[in-house]
Amino acid sequence: MNEMSKNENLDIQIYNFAYLDENTKRMIRRALLKALCIPGYQVPFSSREMPMPYGWGTGGIQVTSACLIPKDILKVIDQGADDTTNAVSIRKFFQKTANVAVTEKTSDASLIQTRHRIPETKLKEKQILVYQVPIPEPLRFLEPRETETRKMHALSEYGLMYVKLYEDIAKHGHIETAYAYPVKTNGNYVTDPSPIPKFDNPKMNNSPAIQLFGAGREQRIYAIPPYTNVKSLDFEDYPFEAMKANFKCSICGSSDSYLDEIIVSDDGKRSYICSDTDYCKEQTKLNSKKED
Amino acid sequence: MENYPFSENSINSSIAFRSLVNATSYPGRTFQINKLNKPSVLSNAAATILITLCDNESNVYLSKEYNTDEVRNWLIFNTGAIISNKKNADFVIGTWKSLLPLNDFKIGVPEYPERSATLIIEETKYKKVKCNIDGPGIKNKLNIDLPNPELFIENNNLYPLGLDFYFTNDLEILSIPRSTKINIIKSEL
Repeated sequence: MNEMSKNENLDIQIYNFAYLDENTKRMIRRALLKALCIPGYQVPFSSREMPMPYGWGTGGIQVTSACLIPKDILKVIDQGADDTTNAVSIRKFFQKTANVAVTEKTSDASLIQTRHRIPETKLKEKQILVYQVPIPEPLRFLEPRETETRKMHALSEYGLMYVKLYEDIAKHGHIETAYAYPVKTNGNYVTDPSPIPKFDNPKMNNSPAIQLFGAGREQRIYAIPPYTNVKSLDFEDYPFEAMKANFKCSICGSSDSYLDEIIVSDDGKRSYICSDTDYCKEQTKLNSKKED
Repeated sequence: MENYPFSENSINSSIAFRSLVNATSYPGRTFQINKLNKPSVLSNAAATILITLCDNESNVYLSKEYNTDEVRNWLIFNTGAIISNKKNADFVIGTWKSLLPLNDFKIGVPEYPERSATLIIEETKYKKVKCNIDGPGIKNKLNIDLPNPELFIENNNLYPLGLDFYFTNDLEILSIPRSTKINIIKSEL
């Protein structure tokens, strides 16, 4: 570390507030507002090169940058955890460039950037949840041409997606898709919820919070406003099921939160722990209070 | 410096944008905007929207009350925006009456519904009709007063195409995006 970057005040002067320049922010902000007006529709934007590789949340970080205000309390999670590399580096990035307060507590955060999870703690009005999205187009693996998928959205032509889900049932007896499970937003656009486990899908429906999605490499922004109907695609005889590993967290004992499977010994012994580290901490605290 | 719209550009514009995000996310609810340096004819809220969102790619239509040297010079100097006609406008500013009929404004195309105009409606001196609104961002149906609600119903029928509205009044802003469904409350006659 050189002398310059030790001085926090200097760091802030080196960058514009929250890193991105004002012209870029304006472009992203216009896209975000149109995205909120057309829930689930992917608005193209001219994504910038960020000081991190694609796949590390360059879309999310641009959306966060355009939304941050000095008073914000920022939380960043990666697969539910506050202490993984991706989360730690993005949190530090905004501490350095926007000088915002940070927290690990979901209920204290005003803006949460997430990779692949929705926090277990219920979100509140005016909280913003920014998702990092790798492939924003739910139809992309079924139809590689952008010109075609755009037309399919315009015509609400989603037969192909239903065929895919049907083939799952024909082959496996149930819908195999376990993450990035497609949803229909406000009864109109089929939307990719980003690679969250389908356990989290119901949390998107009618949420009081503002959900924004950024895909940096694919140059798309989309949004799900609060109190919006978000329905996971399914069939009458094969209704959608949110599922998780049928165990209890071996740290906090919770049986209703999403669990990560970890291997704890050389002979392959397994254990399950909450993927949401903040929720796990809160539950552990609650448990120790009960014991007192 | 005191003549610039915002005293601290990046900070003020971020705070202004958060109000816009909240207003757009929760239609029919009023949100507060801060004061800024602006031409006297514009409200703080309307001027804030223009300064926060417009740049040299934005076509702005000014209705006749707002199409003055003062507004044009202020807007072009601070944002680089292009003064445009109704048909090409991305942002539209005017009183309700001066903007009618709405048919000239762009509503987007099925492949690109976002290529549509954002209308900023200044002043509240229009004939108010009691309405009930519902849709994305609205928890329980809300009662609000709207001018010519039949036009908002028509606009919502175009969904996912359509116009997006911001009502601005001094320091207040309220949004009615295209996704909002409008019911006219029948008066007891």
